[in-house]
This record gives sequence, C-alpha cells and structure tokens, in this order.
Amino acid sequence: MGDQVLYFEDVAEGDRAPELAHVLTRTDLVAYAGASGDFNPMHHDEVKATAAGQPSVFGHGMFSMGLVGTAITNYVGVGNVRRFQVRFARQTWPDEELRTRIVVTGTRTEGDDHLVDLDVRLHNVDGEEKVVGEATAVVPCRL
Amino acid sequence: MADDILNTIIGKPTGTTVVTVERGQLALFASAVKDESPIYRDPRAAAEAGLPGIPAPPTYPLVMGNFGAYPELQPGDAPSGNPMAEVIGPLMAKGGLILHGEQEFTYHRPVFAGDVLVGEGKVVDAYRKESKGRTMTFVVVETAWSERSTGEPVCTSRMNIIHRI
Repeated sequence: MGDQVLYFEDVAEGDRAPELAHVLTRTDLVAYAGASGDFNPMHHDEVKATAAGQPSVFGHGMFSMGLVGTAITNYVGVGNVRRFQVRFARQTWPDEELRTRIVVTGTRTEGDDHLVDLDVRLHNVDGEEKVVGEATAVVPCRL
Repeated sequence: MADDILNTIIGKPTGTTVVTVERGQLALFASAVKDESPIYRDPRAAAEAGLPGIPAPPTYPLVMGNFGAYPELQPGDAPSGNPMAEVIGPLMAKGGLILHGEQEFTYHRPVFAGDVLVGEGKVVDAYRKESKGRTMTFVVVETAWSERSTGEPVCTSRMNIIHRI
C-alpha cells in the first residue's frame, strides 16, 4: 500500500502479486457511477436493466479494471504503472466474488528504467474470467 | 448503415477537453475502486512515496473529462459534431447494447491533483463484424492528454466501444 517498496532485484518471472478479493454489491456500482460520472442505467437501475433483458444490473467494466488497477498499484507502488491494457471478457454481477490474479511475465531494463511486465486478470470463484490484460510498471533498484 | 460511413469517421476528432484535476475527486474515485491507500488522501503520504502531489488511480484518466471540465477552460474554437454520436446514435435507435470491449492506458507520468490537462480525442478505427447472427460495430477512440502549460504528454487512453445487436 505504498509503504512496502517492490525492488527490481526482488522480482522474478512467475511471481504473483497478493490477490485482491471483493464481493460485488449494488452499492459498489452506485459508488462507482458517482465517482466516475458513468450513469448508464444498466449499472444501477434494476428496472431498466431487466427491461433490457439483463438478469439484473451488472458491473461497469471500468469498475473491474479499477479493481485490477488497485491490485497492481498495491504490488508495484502507486505512480509506477507505465501501461495497463485489458479486454472485458464477461459481465460481472452483484454478489459475485471477484478475485485478481497478477503474475510477473518478465523483467527487463530499458535505458535507465527497470520494468516489470505483468499478466493481469480478474475472475470469479468459479474461475470465469471477467477481465484479461497486461500491464508494465517501472520499479526502483536497490543499487 | 453502410460501412463507408464507418470509414469516414476514422481519423475524425472527437473533441478537445480541458480539465482541472481535483483532489476530492481523486479520493472519491480511489474509494470507488476499493483503494484505501493514504497516498490518494494525504499529501504527506504521497511525498513519502516520492510523489510530487496526490496522484490519480490508474484508470481515472478515462473519466476525468466528466469532472473539472469548467466552461471557462474550454477552447473557443471547438469543432462541432461528434463522430461517435454520428455512428452510435443511429445504431442505438435500432436497439441493442453498448459494451466496452477493451481499454488501454499508457502513462508518461501519473496524473496529479492540481493538473490542468488538455485531452484531444480522435477515432482511430471503426469496423463491423458479424458473429453468431449478431452484428457488432466497433469504434476505437484514442484520447491524448497533455499538460496545458507545457504541452508535455501525460497519458493516452485507447477505448474500444462495441454496439451489439
């Protein structure tokens, strides 16, 4: 959470970031709508969502990406992300437990920058993938 | 709608937005993505982490145009017409669902509270696919954010929006 520094020398391919787990609630969706300004009714209005053929309201894709972003910065440090890309594979639903899975796919040096490449995912407890992507962070060196 | 309409929007600007990045909004957004780090809330914690100010969470750049885009900041010569609306508007009139397909950010530096940033958007791709009896229309919009005072690049957002019917 910013107080623990991840150093380049301590990272190796295959390392995993601590998992972030969260049970999605409708309150989360309302909070995200307000904080993002995304008031698409599919994410907060059960009446409109069901009228549109959805089983219920469903999560903003960007909430899922945001949750993955939180797990990434918890691991590499706030302010260190250089690139973050995802594909939104499936919708998320209230009461689903969402879990991040972040794995180091490589480390490299580019000029003075020490870079860590990550495979980043979000899935539910059944292993159904919600978000699949990758990220690159620049982390400090001990030397 | 013919595909040639999709071709005509590629390269078209989606508009220029000037935003001020506000501290309260960053803390609110951090809470909304379940990040309780003091770095988003306390400038002393940010300084301890080696940051010159309170940063934005990584996905904030997508939404920052929704806040702090005050009228007096906006350029007077804004182009009229929104190519996104030109394509998505008629599609939505037929029904269907708008989905966010993919999202990518590249960061030259973090966004900080107090930044005044210029976002310039353009359509970089638009195409259609038929799949399992459904028609999917894809529009990719790239927004490049830079510092208003220096022109230095800050971050780029690339968003792939899908209309599915």
